[in-house]
Amino acid sequence: MPSPPRWLLAELTYRCPLQCPYCSNPLDYAKHKDELSTDDWKRVLKQSREMGAVQLGFSGGEPLVRKDLTELVQYSHQLGYYTNLITSAYNMDEKKVIELKKAGLDHIQISLQASSKELNDFIAGTETFEHKKKTAQLIKKQGYPMVLCVVLHRQNIHQIESILDMAIELEADFVELANTQYYGWAQHNRDQLLPSQLQLQQAEKIAKRYQTSQKGKMKIYYVIPDYYEGKPKACMNGWGTTFLTITPDGLALPCHSARQLPNFDCPSVKENSISDIWNNSIAFNYFRGDNWMKEPCRSCDEKDKDFAGCHCQSFLLTGDASNADPACKLSPHHHLIEKATQQAEQDNEHELVFRNTKNSNRLS
Amino acid sequence: MSLRTDQLIQIHSGYRLQWEEAQQIFVLLYPEGLIELNQSSAEILQLCDGQHKLADIIQTLESKFSTTGLENDIINFLTIALDNGWITQHA
Repeated sequence: MPSPPRWLLAELTYRCPLQCPYCSNPLDYAKHKDELSTDDWKRVLKQSREMGAVQLGFSGGEPLVRKDLTELVQYSHQLGYYTNLITSAYNMDEKKVIELKKAGLDHIQISLQASSKELNDFIAGTETFEHKKKTAQLIKKQGYPMVLCVVLHRQNIHQIESILDMAIELEADFVELANTQYYGWAQHNRDQLLPSQLQLQQAEKIAKRYQTSQKGKMKIYYVIPDYYEGKPKACMNGWGTTFLTITPDGLALPCHSARQLPNFDCPSVKENSISDIWNNSIAFNYFRGDNWMKEPCRSCDEKDKDFAGCHCQSFLLTGDASNADPACKLSPHHHLIEKATQQAEQDNEHELVFRNTKNSNRLS
Repeated sequence: MSLRTDQLIQIHSGYRLQWEEAQQIFVLLYPEGLIELNQSSAEILQLCDGQHKLADIIQTLESKFSTTGLENDIINFLTIALDNGWITQHA
């Protein structure tokens, strides 16, 4: 039997008032309009909890647009989950912050696009900056632990110092400096988002300085950019070992990008129980263990640490999800990554494609 | 920040210690993360309830398991816990 799921990511909806061009949702999200009902979600939450899931992220899209969010938070809290709300904070007023606290919400993660109003609102495609700051204060006032999440890319990475100063001012407990990962919309906009090596080196230096000076006060996570590491990330802590994502329309995925793998037949929670999906489905068993691996992974000393890297990235860049992740310098496709990082040394004049329904319909 | 012998120890307010029936272990939960605890770590953290100082914790566990010499292991674990922000101390 595989190890049980510990982490459940509930993508409640693809609807979102923001238009961030680095969104990891699928490009064709507009095609998937059906959303699970409240009862469907309760069934998923209960079955997942019984199997062992304990960390629960409400995400999306923007989870706040679901009218039943508070009800789902309350239900999850009663089941014993640690509940995380992953939100843009757009349209979140004090009443909602208090209502969710009463329902048992444990933590709120707010996204921030930049440290200046102009850049934040440009990247979000919506005027959100002032509102986000105000909501962050309300969240702290209600005694939640707060994570500020900033997705870093070539258009905002130069603001890292002022972003961290802002996090200190807002009394964030944790800051996630997440270098963009290239799936969905981010992959489509990759060349406009990938920072240069120099940009990254400068940012990393500043992040380290703040990690030291803020020790014991604010924890700063710096998510390493795999394009520049020469090493792949340990995808999902191992496929089908820890993470379970449920899409707004009810597909169960071993990783939140797996929907884009072709011919994969991810099972639906409308027709299958979570335990059946987790233990028996082809999708969840596909990359378990190492029998499926090709060279150079199969004989590699690192295979138990990185699990051949990210299969979605292998598919996106090489067309075959079972190839070694091209981010690895041992991959025969590593030149694809090098080509992208070389391009990132030059100016890029293409425009960002924003994540919205119009563009989704055009691209799908 | 180092571990103080004269202060009470408690789990940090943003963290939650919880028994997991499905896995038969204790876990420490915090924003977007969890730590699966082995038995000795769980025994120590259960006593970090704001009612005990270091010496009480050592004495309670040595008596519970009818043993001696746990001091170093307990101090080592609590030092890591304090460094990681899992626990806090107050007078």
